[in-house]
Amino acid sequence: MFTLGSVLDNELKSTVEDFSFETNFSTNQLMLPNIEKPFEFAQSIIGLEKDLQENENQLMFHQQKKEERKERALIKGYKGTTTLAFIYEKGTVIAVDSRATSGQYIASQSVQKVVPINSYMLGTLAGGAADCQFFLAHLGRICNLYELRNNETISVAAASKLLNNILYSYRNYGLSVGSMICGYDTRGPQLYYIDSDGSRLKNSLFSVGSGSPFAYGVLDAGYRWDLSKEEALDLGRRAICAATFKDSYSGGTIKVYHIDENGWVKISDDDASELWYEYEKKEKKEKK
Amino acid sequence: MDSLVGFVGKNYVIMAGDTNAGRSIMRLKDDFDKLVPIDSHKILAKSGEIGDGNQFCNLIIRNVSLYRIRNETELTTKSVAHYTRRQLATAIRKNPYSVNLLLGGYDKKDQKGSLYYLDYLGSSKKINYGAQGYAALFVGSILDRFWKEDLDFEDGLELMKKCLREVEKRLIIGTRCFLIKMINSDGISVVEKVMINSEKKNEIEEEN
Repeated sequence: MFTLGSVLDNELKSTVEDFSFETNFSTNQLMLPNIEKPFEFAQSIIGLEKDLQENENQLMFHQQKKEERKERALIKGYKGTTTLAFIYEKGTVIAVDSRATSGQYIASQSVQKVVPINSYMLGTLAGGAADCQFFLAHLGRICNLYELRNNETISVAAASKLLNNILYSYRNYGLSVGSMICGYDTRGPQLYYIDSDGSRLKNSLFSVGSGSPFAYGVLDAGYRWDLSKEEALDLGRRAICAATFKDSYSGGTIKVYHIDENGWVKISDDDASELWYEYEKKEKKEKK
Repeated sequence: MDSLVGFVGKNYVIMAGDTNAGRSIMRLKDDFDKLVPIDSHKILAKSGEIGDGNQFCNLIIRNVSLYRIRNETELTTKSVAHYTRRQLATAIRKNPYSVNLLLGGYDKKDQKGSLYYLDYLGSSKKINYGAQGYAALFVGSILDRFWKEDLDFEDGLELMKKCLREVEKRLIIGTRCFLIKMINSDGISVVEKVMINSEKKNEIEEEN
């Protein structure tokens, strides 16, 4: 019988050359590093025994011999995306790309990487799409219940702490979530970074994903607390544009959102490839 | 990658930690406070994974508060160290917390400061001076050489800065910014947020 377990067994026993991403989109995808020899890379970098114990639950359905199981290593997901968010005097700016990749294949150019939690809070998506979407939607439900029970809007700190506690309890289950909870509450604009390892950090700017180093470069160079709204939105857009230009796992369209005391608003939705050349044209005109 | 340093002086305990919070090669946060106050006279300095550190420190803080509410008395540093160690030890074979800690506290009863070294495996030792992380390699010998019993606060701060200067100089991973806190009979106070710049030459070298 062609069960899920036997399909994955066959794939894992095969050599790297046999493995291909073109098949099995309907079954659960193993998230492998997007490099030439993913299994060898994973085995060389990551320890075996400790990770095996951590993934005992996940691996149980495989029904393989213990010796064979010991030869496998934990394979972690690769966050092929660029998302950024920062707070400034007048609110919060969030900018994301919209590309989803599986290996060298671009699965989609129009992914929604920003999930609304309520009317004044947004969550970004990086890592495993399913994990992020589910947990952010779940957070939205919890926040709604909180507001109904307590007759007051939930603070961003509380919402991010709720998500953090949930993800911490799943920390050895192989989830991949690199989300930012951004909002505007009574304390002003707030930004928290939440990770599937259980970390929760508060800061004025974050960028998450494979393109984040490129985005950080532009963001750090132009960031000030007293930016005007136009300057802030432009900074976010340019930072993602720079990341999509350099990082092949980021691209599609660049979506920019703004949150202030009136709630969140979607500002713009531009094609990443076109935007870069538009900026170039603008600068050439200005030089003349 | 986290650096924590601490030692006991005359009626005080001084502790310092770097202010970096990062993920792989990237620094996510520049002003991360690793010296968490448990109550008015105790600090738990955490190093290791951010998530585990947060959750574990919260656990200790809440349980110490609960004890205080139930029994109307503050725990001594020794008791907190023992409690913390037990939590780490029971967790290590089930769901380990990858945090290494330095617990510093001042007890009004004894009018003395004390410092404990706690490991993620559940080891605990009362120490006069010590460090966690890579800093321990560089700072251990400095403290062995220069630490004395009953150092004044000014001498203690100078010694701490000496240690942090060495960490900044020799640790290849850039940690320039450190937060120094001190516990004495008045409680916890933030001494300084130092930005060490070892590029400044020594006076001796300049003369030559």
